[in-house]
Amino acid sequence: MTDTTFNGATPDGNDKVSLGSAWRWLLRHPPVVTFALIVLVCLVVGTINTDFWQVSNLFDILRASVVRGLFALGVLVVLASGGIDVSFTAIAAFVMYTVTMLVTNLLPGLPMPVILLVAAAGGACFGALNGVLVHALRAPSLIVTIGTQYVICSFLLTFVGTALFMNIPGSMEAFGKVALFTHQSANGSISVLPAFVLVLAVAAVVTWWILERTLIGRAVYAVGGNPGIAERLGYNLRTVHIFVFAYAGLLAGIAGVMHVASNRLANPFDLAGTELEIIAAVVLGGARITGGSGSVIGTLLGVVLITLVSNVLILVGIPSTWQLAIIGVFIVLAGTVFSLRAKR
Amino acid sequence: MQLKHEAGAPHPGETSKAAIPYLEIRDIQKSFGGVRALKGVSFSIEPGQIYHLMGENGCGKSTLIKIISGAQPADAGELLIDGKPVGHLTPVAALAAGIETVYQDFSLLPNLSVAENVGLTQQLVAASGKLARRLDLAHMRQTAERALAAVNLPTTRAFLSTRTDELPMATRQLIAIARAIASDARLVIMDEPTTALTKHEVDNLIGIVGRLRAKGVAVLFVTHKLDECKSIGGRAVIMRDGQKVAECDIADHTKAELGFWMTGKVLDEARYRSAPKFGDDLLAVDALSLKDAFANVSFSMRRGEIVGITGLLDSGRNELARAIAGVVPADTGRIRLNGKDVTPGKPADAIDAGIGYVPEDRLSEGLFLEKPIEENIVVPVLDRLRGAFGILDGRRSRDLAKRSVEDLQVVTPDVANPVQSLSGGNQQRVLIGRWLTINPKLLVLHGPTVGVDVGSKDTIYRIIQRLADEGMGVIIISDDLLELLQNCDRIMVMRKGEVVEAFQAEALEEEVLYRALVEETTTVRTAL
Repeated sequence: MTDTTFNGATPDGNDKVSLGSAWRWLLRHPPVVTFALIVLVCLVVGTINTDFWQVSNLFDILRASVVRGLFALGVLVVLASGGIDVSFTAIAAFVMYTVTMLVTNLLPGLPMPVILLVAAAGGACFGALNGVLVHALRAPSLIVTIGTQYVICSFLLTFVGTALFMNIPGSMEAFGKVALFTHQSANGSISVLPAFVLVLAVAAVVTWWILERTLIGRAVYAVGGNPGIAERLGYNLRTVHIFVFAYAGLLAGIAGVMHVASNRLANPFDLAGTELEIIAAVVLGGARITGGSGSVIGTLLGVVLITLVSNVLILVGIPSTWQLAIIGVFIVLAGTVFSLRAKR
Repeated sequence: MQLKHEAGAPHPGETSKAAIPYLEIRDIQKSFGGVRALKGVSFSIEPGQIYHLMGENGCGKSTLIKIISGAQPADAGELLIDGKPVGHLTPVAALAAGIETVYQDFSLLPNLSVAENVGLTQQLVAASGKLARRLDLAHMRQTAERALAAVNLPTTRAFLSTRTDELPMATRQLIAIARAIASDARLVIMDEPTTALTKHEVDNLIGIVGRLRAKGVAVLFVTHKLDECKSIGGRAVIMRDGQKVAECDIADHTKAELGFWMTGKVLDEARYRSAPKFGDDLLAVDALSLKDAFANVSFSMRRGEIVGITGLLDSGRNELARAIAGVVPADTGRIRLNGKDVTPGKPADAIDAGIGYVPEDRLSEGLFLEKPIEENIVVPVLDRLRGAFGILDGRRSRDLAKRSVEDLQVVTPDVANPVQSLSGGNQQRVLIGRWLTINPKLLVLHGPTVGVDVGSKDTIYRIIQRLADEGMGVIIISDDLLELLQNCDRIMVMRKGEVVEAFQAEALEEEVLYRALVEETTTVRTAL
């Protein structure tokens, strides 16, 4: 019986690569679409303004991708499990501001690795709280995290402070300045690729490893695919819920500190409001908003695409107010393409 | 091979297989909000035996399965494995003890690959449900390959990495079975395994069960299909109303006896169809084709006629039904109703033309489960129920729903109750009632009694007959051959997208119909 029933499933024309099969292949590999959009934007912008092809631009985009990328990896893990998190910017703001304040006022000599560790732990605690609430209340995670976002923001501004920190701790400032790569262009201007982009690289590899090479990673996708079935098969939903939100919180904590280190100031009003942009980046990278899919490589490409659009449009004379419209068109485009995959 | 418990050395502490059953269920009780679903059920499962847990929908058999597989705890009673009480089982503990379940919906994770669906459970069990573990990819692949080979599925890399939601139903079921036997299964529970399968695939399933049995694995079928129980054989454990009413060897009893125990009613295999009165020409389907589904389908029928369409899952029968209803329109060809071209391009066209369509999967395609019965019934005629200012006239809506519920004998205290509070048979009647509100000229019933118990089937068949007697044309698409023989005037058989044969249903032997259904593929299947 296998012969007869399985025939329906195999793609019919293996002998020739038709347009249809190429299209199908594309739908199964959403990051390719994202990559194509990146290439398209580069070609268009680069043709209109050849200043685009400069190493400094590349460095700028990479530098600007770090905080977004850390956020996006966390969002990816939550989305893959079928949830959604909008509280990560609030967590990041809280952690970055509180940690900066504590280190400045109490332990000015604290080394950077310890600061990162504290920020990660703090973020993970907030995230775990999200996870516990989502699991215990059996409530939609969007609603729960909107709630926690407001509470965390309000708590930060009411009890911790609203003043800017212009003088950040020495170890953080130094960390933000370490160069990974320095480039001198023909006209003598120097551009620097900061070493903290490595933080994103490490986070990406770790996230990939967790999602693809551990049981919890597969459990995240299993729960995202169908929570009822996953539970019946013995996957512990509580563990998965707490893990995904704690992991998103952990990355948000690190992202907060990275934000301070790269901007050399801590503003409690920063970061808030960028949630949708990050979620959009992850969806542009091929993750479905309904859960159970998404990849690290796609997410990174989605982040690069969003950063690219926000950074380079100015080069071709498009006012920055148009950025959002273009990102919006990309999102609708990607959403349409990826939903075709669902219909088949 | 992987079923080493029974094939190899006896289990520790197991002195005599006959003396200590593998699983003993003792006086299990369970209530849901004051309703006693299980009122003390006991029976034993011996290695290498086949059991059929039989009963109508709502008799408690599903609840019992959930308790055995660890999905729900029992309120009272004991489970003993190899003679030792196991207390409350979790899903992982049940799996570790060798109890594997093939759920009715297959319970595959749609977004994961075949290899993951088959092989992950074993790793989860090995980790005792703990998730902070590295994935052993090589081991997962080996497990999957071995299990897939055991159910005659391909083990190529391409197949292993296919997402399960891209596969046809019958393949998904085999994957679910492969998962069940991938680890050391000692009892495989199959929850209504044949609902989504045609007779052929059932035969393959029976072959697999035979091989499991030879390895000392016990198999427990949960079912209400008497024919299959009879052809598979083994022991029957029959439940009614939360209690075990009988336990016996199936071979010693007739279908009528088993059916009586299940329903408490005497069953009848006689034809429902009698003295049909045909009216004018009603429907003319002319050269209807849909790429990769069916080609050049033509037939006509008259008012008051009941036409059956059957075929294997891949025969195109499902797609044909959907095309007539406009759900997935045909590429070419015409559908005429009363001589008028009504070829639907979308479901609303079919409704306007007077074609009612009761889909096969009433849960996902048909009903709004959480919504009241009333809303489910009146939804196609909402604009006719408009009162002052275009607002829905609640009283007329309720009256219509009440009439419909009465007419179709839906058992419910109130039409405001949600549809999900009803049993399968009653849900199906609500769905039929919905389409009767548009006074259809043609009613297309797609698998009208899938997942419906024996007693409810009778009611539905009587309704179908009455509708035809009143002059409606009825098309029944089904793989339940007896159902077609009992109800239709004519039966058309589809193979590979074409109508290959048509029979007068009266005096037609089931065996003849069955052979017409499977002819072309018989050679492939016997290779198993």
